[in-house]
Amino acid sequence: MNEADPLVFVVDDDDSVRCAFARLIRAAGHPVKAFASAREFLAGADLGAHPACLVLDVRLPDIDGLQLQRQLGRTLPIIFITGHGDIAMTVLAMKAGATDFLAKPVRDTDLLQAIDHALELAKQIHASRCEQATLLQRFERLTPREREVMALVVTGRLNKQVAGELGTAEKTIKAHRARVMSKMEVTSLAQLVHIVDKADIFPGAGRRMTR
Amino acid sequence: MSGHDQPEGTFVMSVIFLAMAIAEAGVIVWLLVSRVRHGRLAPISGGSGQKGACEQAASRPASGIVSSRLYIRRAQSKVADLFFRSTPRSMLAGATVGSPAVGTVGRSSTGGATTADARIQHPVGGPRRMVTLRTFRWAVPLRQRLSAEAGVTSCDTIASGFQALWDALPLGTLLLGGQGEVLAVNARAQQLFGYEAGHLAGMRVSTLVPALQGRYAPPAADDSQAASTRGLVAKHKNGAEFPVDIILRPSPYHDDAEIALAFIEDRTEHFELLRNQQELAHLTRVCTMGELASSLAHEINQPLTAILSNVQAAQRFMAADPIDVTEVREILEDIVQDDYRASEVIRHIRATVKKGDMEFAPLDLATVVREVLFLLHSDAIMRETRVVLDDGDDLPSIYADRVQLQQVVMNLLLNAFDAMSHVLPAQRVVSITLSAQAGETARIAVRDCGHGLTVGKLDAVFRPFYTSKPHGLGLGLSISRSIVEFHGGRIWAENNIDRGATFFVSLPTGHAAGNRKSRYEP
Repeated sequence: MNEADPLVFVVDDDDSVRCAFARLIRAAGHPVKAFASAREFLAGADLGAHPACLVLDVRLPDIDGLQLQRQLGRTLPIIFITGHGDIAMTVLAMKAGATDFLAKPVRDTDLLQAIDHALELAKQIHASRCEQATLLQRFERLTPREREVMALVVTGRLNKQVAGELGTAEKTIKAHRARVMSKMEVTSLAQLVHIVDKADIFPGAGRRMTR
Repeated sequence: MSGHDQPEGTFVMSVIFLAMAIAEAGVIVWLLVSRVRHGRLAPISGGSGQKGACEQAASRPASGIVSSRLYIRRAQSKVADLFFRSTPRSMLAGATVGSPAVGTVGRSSTGGATTADARIQHPVGGPRRMVTLRTFRWAVPLRQRLSAEAGVTSCDTIASGFQALWDALPLGTLLLGGQGEVLAVNARAQQLFGYEAGHLAGMRVSTLVPALQGRYAPPAADDSQAASTRGLVAKHKNGAEFPVDIILRPSPYHDDAEIALAFIEDRTEHFELLRNQQELAHLTRVCTMGELASSLAHEINQPLTAILSNVQAAQRFMAADPIDVTEVREILEDIVQDDYRASEVIRHIRATVKKGDMEFAPLDLATVVREVLFLLHSDAIMRETRVVLDDGDDLPSIYADRVQLQQVVMNLLLNAFDAMSHVLPAQRVVSITLSAQAGETARIAVRDCGHGLTVGKLDAVFRPFYTSKPHGLGLGLSISRSIVEFHGGRIWAENNIDRGATFFVSLPTGHAAGNRKSRYEP
């Protein structure tokens, strides 16, 4: 399997339903990994390696589908499938970011369309996660001092102001700043700010900006 | 003894003997088991002692004092014999009407006789019995007359006083000749068959009870053994048929060994009660299925979902080139299995709501429980409850009606689920333990982790219409108890040491269960 090949996870405690879903999805050409419980899924699924979506039964023993959704956050798109769903449950799932909510028995076209849609989303998520990882890798190369300088520079402060705040000479800041630009592989301050925003390098940055 | 010398008097004696009349301070208490037939009218063990008691009574009336102490002891031993076979008789001492063991339920009075329905509780927590206590005055007027008419012989007095007893017997009683002809009848028998006394005398017993035609043969030599025949059909004068039980005894006081006494009990009410009970059980089963409708629908929906997805996957595999035959073959196999699975659910639902006669058969307890779990699978998941089954090893089979036994198990499980609705989902565990117990019984224990029951509720939960649930009818456990007791078993509840409660059902197994067979077959 190619690293970027999208993958579909199926979690359903009912053996025959799980097996049938897996077959149908495989017949449509998607690689599938199936799990009998949320616990097994959490222990056995590698969520980072591929763009992936999750076909998830709502009612599961131990950890139910909605709980699992809360645990996963928005790391991968989720298609809920349920035998006894009600409106409240659907609303809850959709609000928490589910891409679809289907009732059993489910038509192949409905399920496969939902999967196609979810995988599109998964690819975007995967791409941005990959980009984020690259950016973070670059950020890892900075020295602690360079990170301090970068944090202040991206808030729009001038070299002189940064020097004042860090208690050092403007010339030193200028050298630090040049090294930050080269290590982060950007040519303009605007690009740097964009990266910081995208990779969420300084989670507290928003607060600092408004000060 | 005087009894052998004077036929009329001995006849009187024999009926006293057979009817087990219980006299205490001039009052005769007749116990008639109306619901439970355990040892009904069977001769008291150590029959010679009983005979002695009768003879003793016969020899004494001249003094005007009946040995009441002797009779009290007899009464107690008879009560023990009738209801508490396994109970040491000493435990029953003092267990007379009005004592805590005997609670009177209803009372009516006609013609000097008092009839009371009473509930008797086994002193060590055994099954309850409903009995009818019939009390009528006999000895007191006899004694009064004795003092007035000093010249009358004891046995004549007994005989004249006895006519009242003979007619007051709640069982239809016939004296039969060697050819099966009726020699004498009591008032109850006339009433049962709808004839006048004169018309019955000389009639053949086969006219009254056709089944006795070829079978009439008083049991031979051993006159302590009565022959009892259950579930016979008797014919009223107007042609109507009614169910009866008959006990035949050779008359020990007649020289002709073929002269016999037939005691006839009308079982119409018993069968009506049984039918009502079964209908109620059926109704509650249907109700339960209604409550489970949503989870049962899910239980059928699952295989349907799998079948649909499998078929649509197969369509795709067939469209591919080359066709993946292995995959398609596997799919077809799975479709067959899922189809069986769906129809199995439907079969179980049908069997549960089916209205039919009870069918007693040897059953494997673990299978019975597993079938219930199969139906409750979805319900347990919806309620976020885990069910653990410890099915014991090699449990002996029990003899029961499958549907009714499953009703009991299902009821206990659903109650356990309900009991844990306020508990954190992670702690919602019901454990079912099956085990073989001493004394040829098998036990089902259903343990929950709820809040348990207060001491007063441990018994109260089995009362009809007692419920702690907002939408409960309060019939589940009460019906479960009827069913279990009908199967010769016991049901009870205990609080767990840590948390929650456990409901136990014990049922007779193997040999003990097989013996019960005859009780239920008409």
